[in-house]
Amino acid sequence: METLSYLAPLAQLDVLWTIALGTLGGLIIGALPGLTATMGVALLIPMTFGMAPVMGLNMLIGIYIGGIYGGCVSSILLRTPGTPASAATVLDGYPMAQKGHAGKALGMATIASTIGGLIAAVVLATLAPQLAGIALEFGAPEYFALALFGLTIIASLSGDILKGAISGLLGILISCVGADPISGISRFTFGIQGFASGFAFTPALIGLFALSEVFTQIERLASKEPPVTLVKNRWPSWADMKESRSALIRGSFIGTLIGIIPGTGSGTASWIAYNEARRSSKTPEKFGTGHMPGIAATESANNAVCAAALIPLLALGVPGDVVTAVLMGGLMIQGLAPGPMLFQTNPDVVVGIFGGTFIATIFMFIFGMALIPVFSKILMVPRRMLTISIVLFCFIGSFSINLNPVDLYTMVGFGVLGWGMQKFGFSQAALCIALILGPMLEANLRRGLLQAGDNLTEFLSGPITLLFLALTVLSLGWPMVAKALARKSNARPEITE
Amino acid sequence: MFKTTVAAIALTLGAATPVLADFPERPIQIIVPYSAGGSTDLGIRVVADALESKFDGLRTVVRNQPGGGGGIGTSAAVHARPDGYTLGAGAQGPIAILPHVGGADYTVDDFEFVGLFSRSLQLLVACKDAPFNDYDSFMAYAQTKAPQIGNSGAGGANHVSAEAFAKAAGIKIESIPFGGSSEARTACIGGHIDAMVASPAEAKTAADAGQMTPLFVMEDKRIDLFPDTPTAVEKGVDFTWSSYKGLFAPKGIPAADLDWLRNAVKEVASDPAFIAKMTEMGEFVTYEDGPAFEARVKKDSAMSKAVLEDLGLLGMNK
Repeated sequence: METLSYLAPLAQLDVLWTIALGTLGGLIIGALPGLTATMGVALLIPMTFGMAPVMGLNMLIGIYIGGIYGGCVSSILLRTPGTPASAATVLDGYPMAQKGHAGKALGMATIASTIGGLIAAVVLATLAPQLAGIALEFGAPEYFALALFGLTIIASLSGDILKGAISGLLGILISCVGADPISGISRFTFGIQGFASGFAFTPALIGLFALSEVFTQIERLASKEPPVTLVKNRWPSWADMKESRSALIRGSFIGTLIGIIPGTGSGTASWIAYNEARRSSKTPEKFGTGHMPGIAATESANNAVCAAALIPLLALGVPGDVVTAVLMGGLMIQGLAPGPMLFQTNPDVVVGIFGGTFIATIFMFIFGMALIPVFSKILMVPRRMLTISIVLFCFIGSFSINLNPVDLYTMVGFGVLGWGMQKFGFSQAALCIALILGPMLEANLRRGLLQAGDNLTEFLSGPITLLFLALTVLSLGWPMVAKALARKSNARPEITE
Repeated sequence: MFKTTVAAIALTLGAATPVLADFPERPIQIIVPYSAGGSTDLGIRVVADALESKFDGLRTVVRNQPGGGGGIGTSAAVHARPDGYTLGAGAQGPIAILPHVGGADYTVDDFEFVGLFSRSLQLLVACKDAPFNDYDSFMAYAQTKAPQIGNSGAGGANHVSAEAFAKAAGIKIESIPFGGSSEARTACIGGHIDAMVASPAEAKTAADAGQMTPLFVMEDKRIDLFPDTPTAVEKGVDFTWSSYKGLFAPKGIPAADLDWLRNAVKEVASDPAFIAKMTEMGEFVTYEDGPAFEARVKKDSAMSKAVLEDLGLLGMNK
């Protein structure tokens, strides 16, 4: 009963209004390439100074949830990941939009984000203290094994395994630029100060996916191509939903689990979810051509991360990702120190945040669905003008993050690289995954070795490490085993069921 | 971001009009060399907020230029036009430490120090399952085995402070670098390292929850939040260290403007609302004028140089 009374402040009109505004603002921030959810939350923290904790924090959570969702809009419509979290959505979202099903793709993304968000929110509200412990189990060997497992996605995502491996290795090499994670020495920066922290991630992604597509479009401008005809429908059919059901549920739970592990984030979660959906699908060949379950997997996963990342933050005082680290700052300013004590000292705030997470997710669904027709209109803009606007956004978005001119060179460089890769059949996705996981792999391998006195057996012990290593072997070996099994059963058809 | 753009336009327009009114007649831009949302950024935003409410009509713009361990944004502020309208957030790492590591195109002598408004006190804390739980057992352990002390990045402020303590106390430690302080904290609470340097605010919550145990305070006197935790000084090790937040300007700004800015920082640092807000964030609000701030930075700079030399990190990136 007491718990319910803590929910009362959420029913106040001004609180609801603030959450709605935060969610809508986040959605727009997320949809604009280069403006990330992290930035939205950070810039609005001063606005919460004068607000009651529940109101201010829920506004920030609204921005976070709306921002991660909003990223899918530009991913699907323009092939420009609005936030790094929705880079994986590009794979199936953009082809769908090109076929005229932008509305449906956005509809599925909205539904998936909502379901992912709600499932993670239920987990947050019911199991936060119990599950938070997982976050603490991850030491260097565990992170290393997780990153290694994540990298196996490259093998299954790229049709040509050799080209996929080349793309992945290139990504890992690129991620070596910048300060060495252990000794701090500058590597491969050629004395350019702007590269001291390596290539900035979001400009690299914008170049890799968006600018490269612009180049491809320009090549096609000469040929007369029929414009995209828009199909108005925005609700996926029951058949679509049924097809995407398992991808949705998998995505939600993968997102929840990855969200709890600190320092991984929604980028990792959506790639793993995409890969798992593809692996378990009966029609894996359809992925990447505009297949709904692909969108369902990535979007349910990245929004599940939002609520799940709050679990270690609230229960342990350990932020699950960059945005929650900023949110932690917001909590501290309110005089609330997140951690195990918060549940005892300020249960009203904890329950208020649980409730706010649900409310923000529901607002996200309403705004998302309502705005789809507006967003889809972007595709009606004549191709030439749209292309020019995307170029403009690529530049503004890349510059606005760090106000570092070097990031513009990064963006253009990756644009040319992405265009070349696309032209010669190298997977841009593989490069993107390697950029996300390469630094995690390296830093944790070396930190682990440092801590264990260069003893490699450290990386072969502990249940979580072994689990991920086993998954890695399985994920790489399974296609071969499956093939062998299929051959066997073909040879002796009487055994098949 | 729009705010920044608008301000940038305002700055350009402002530059074209002749100077008639008193300083400041245009928005003042403060460059923070870290991403939005970190502790330096939040501190500066609170200052900017206080400046705006204290001085009628004054507009401030906080501009984040992260990267290169704070070197990129700090360099931008050092090399900005010295007209008083561009200031830099004075953070310990990029000002006192980074020039020694290399990769910075400025030295500690290139700053015009405006004022310091808060210090971030530091403690050494024992992590979960650490083989020691107070200063004496820590020192005893360190005689036999180098404790693993996590920090937020190689060559960063708390890497240097932990090593500086080890040097002063004559013990060996194994520094374990992480990608940022929250990663180090997670590893500490999870028991993957033995100890780390923490701020009183984060140590307090974690200590109450049994996640960390304070070992000693890096001040010369005990602090209110931890009355039972000794200082290194009282244990006979001459070592104090704290990080700080302040403002600096490029060298060569007009003397009158510098006076105005120094006074503004002084007024803000004594504003009760400001003190309350900063205290809630775990900052120790204190005011030091330009020369005192400069002396503090130079002392840190000299100490860091000695430590970095011992670690073989001196001029590593030159």
